[in-house]
Amino acid sequence: MLQLVADGLVVGSVIALGAVGLTLTYSILRFANFGQGEFMTWGAYLAVSALALVLAVTGAGVMEPLGPFSFGWQLIPAMALAAVLTAAIALAVDWALFRRLRRQGNAITLVIASFGAALALRNLVQFLYGTLPEYYTREIQIAIRLVPRDVLGGLRITPDQMLVIGLSLLLVVALHVMLARTTLGRAMRATAMNPALARVAGVDVDGVVRATWVIGAMLAAVAGVMAGVVGQVRPMLGFDLLLPLFAAAILGGIGSVWGAVLGGYIVGLAESFSVPLFGAEYRAATAFLVLIGILLLRPTGIFGERA
Amino acid sequence: MTPALEFSGIEGGYEPGLPILRGAGARVMPGEIVTLLGPNGAGKSTLVKAAAGLVPVWAGRVTLGGRDITGMPAHRMVHEGLGFVPQTENVFANLSVLDNLKLAAALVAKRRRRELAEMFALFPDLDRQRGLAAGRLSGGQRQMLAVARALVASPSVLMLDEPSAGLSPKLVGVVFDRLRAVRDAGVPILLVEQNVKAALALADRAVVLVEGRERLEGAAREVAADPRLKALYFGAHEEAA
Repeated sequence: MLQLVADGLVVGSVIALGAVGLTLTYSILRFANFGQGEFMTWGAYLAVSALALVLAVTGAGVMEPLGPFSFGWQLIPAMALAAVLTAAIALAVDWALFRRLRRQGNAITLVIASFGAALALRNLVQFLYGTLPEYYTREIQIAIRLVPRDVLGGLRITPDQMLVIGLSLLLVVALHVMLARTTLGRAMRATAMNPALARVAGVDVDGVVRATWVIGAMLAAVAGVMAGVVGQVRPMLGFDLLLPLFAAAILGGIGSVWGAVLGGYIVGLAESFSVPLFGAEYRAATAFLVLIGILLLRPTGIFGERA
Repeated sequence: MTPALEFSGIEGGYEPGLPILRGAGARVMPGEIVTLLGPNGAGKSTLVKAAAGLVPVWAGRVTLGGRDITGMPAHRMVHEGLGFVPQTENVFANLSVLDNLKLAAALVAKRRRRELAEMFALFPDLDRQRGLAAGRLSGGQRQMLAVARALVASPSVLMLDEPSAGLSPKLVGVVFDRLRAVRDAGVPILLVEQNVKAALALADRAVVLVEGRERLEGAAREVAADPRLKALYFGAHEEAA
């Protein structure tokens, strides 16, 4: 029981970060970006390249584990570099594609274009990196027993998994503080509410749009690296998480940051609990059953507001 | 004297080929309130939106204190000194009263930024509600917050689109009293209004717009007494012109 909760929270943390980026771009750019999953994949792969670069520059050759974790300190700057490069890709895609389509003001065109962009990004990553899985480290981690087996089945968790949960929460709290306390955050909330009023109030809406892409893509990149730390880096990493991302964002109430976080955890827990109950092959289906159930009770999602 | 704000020969509209403004002109001199009147569809709101950068201007000029600001992006207008309060949805409902004002203040250069305390002194009702989400304010309080949001950026001219819309007569009086105080503090105002009587009582001058063009202009008292005003409102504009 406790083990299922822990497993669900780990998966949920990755989904939550990706879903926060998705919900941000939806509320400010006003379209569902199906490319968000690919930003996760790109972030994970760019971190593989950045890690090789950091190891080469520092002359370390191989990565010595940092404390209890499976990876060394070199993964931290590699992840930061990957996040910056993923943000650059997001800005480039926006400049080349979405910016032009936004002017015509057709949300359906934007959604279909994001499908196309996702497909192109996924194929490009396969072309550049191949289809075989990559790993940041080959170190094997031993899970730590936190709760003995006779208490609700016990709980074992690796330090990497604890880091994933902790880092995800830290980033979401940082994002919340940024949105609540800074001028950029207020400008983002204002633009999400009323872009025309934001313009006449002095907000550079194009700048806010760029900032949204940067933040959403960086969160996706970190989520992708975390998924790679506790699993593998593979071309379908983001695509496989895309539907759970949407489920989390919609379940929490599209446009709500905390809704996306809660939605991410609910989807993660639903997937985790479905394994012993219905079998691993029904993980995604169970998450969507939960989504349907919650939307039937509350059509706007948990934190969603009525239009 | 250089007009604080001047429109000349403005042509524009929402859709290409469907002009709403057909050579509209108006000017606001320093220290005065000018009201822009006209029947429904005359282009009053479109003219102020065009000036604020929200509606494309196809021809003509908008000058602010003599500087040409035609076609400038809307957010740059604020930095140039043009304040605009739209008719509806004129506050950020999801932000608190304080955050609405903090955002407006943070977006302009320090030299332009007015102290929030000044705004709360001018609009004491807002002071008592500073932590409340703007969407939960009453209609009158929302209008005051919208005006305060624009004033925080020390505009050289303030444009308001029907600030009396949806307010009770008592609240209209309160809002107009505040606008008078704003004018007396040195900020000239261009006021679009449907409430002709109240607007003419408040304004120093009036411009009547019909079918996207100005048809009557003069001191507010003279326009109020001019028989052409009624004719313009009831569709006899050819004779009136």
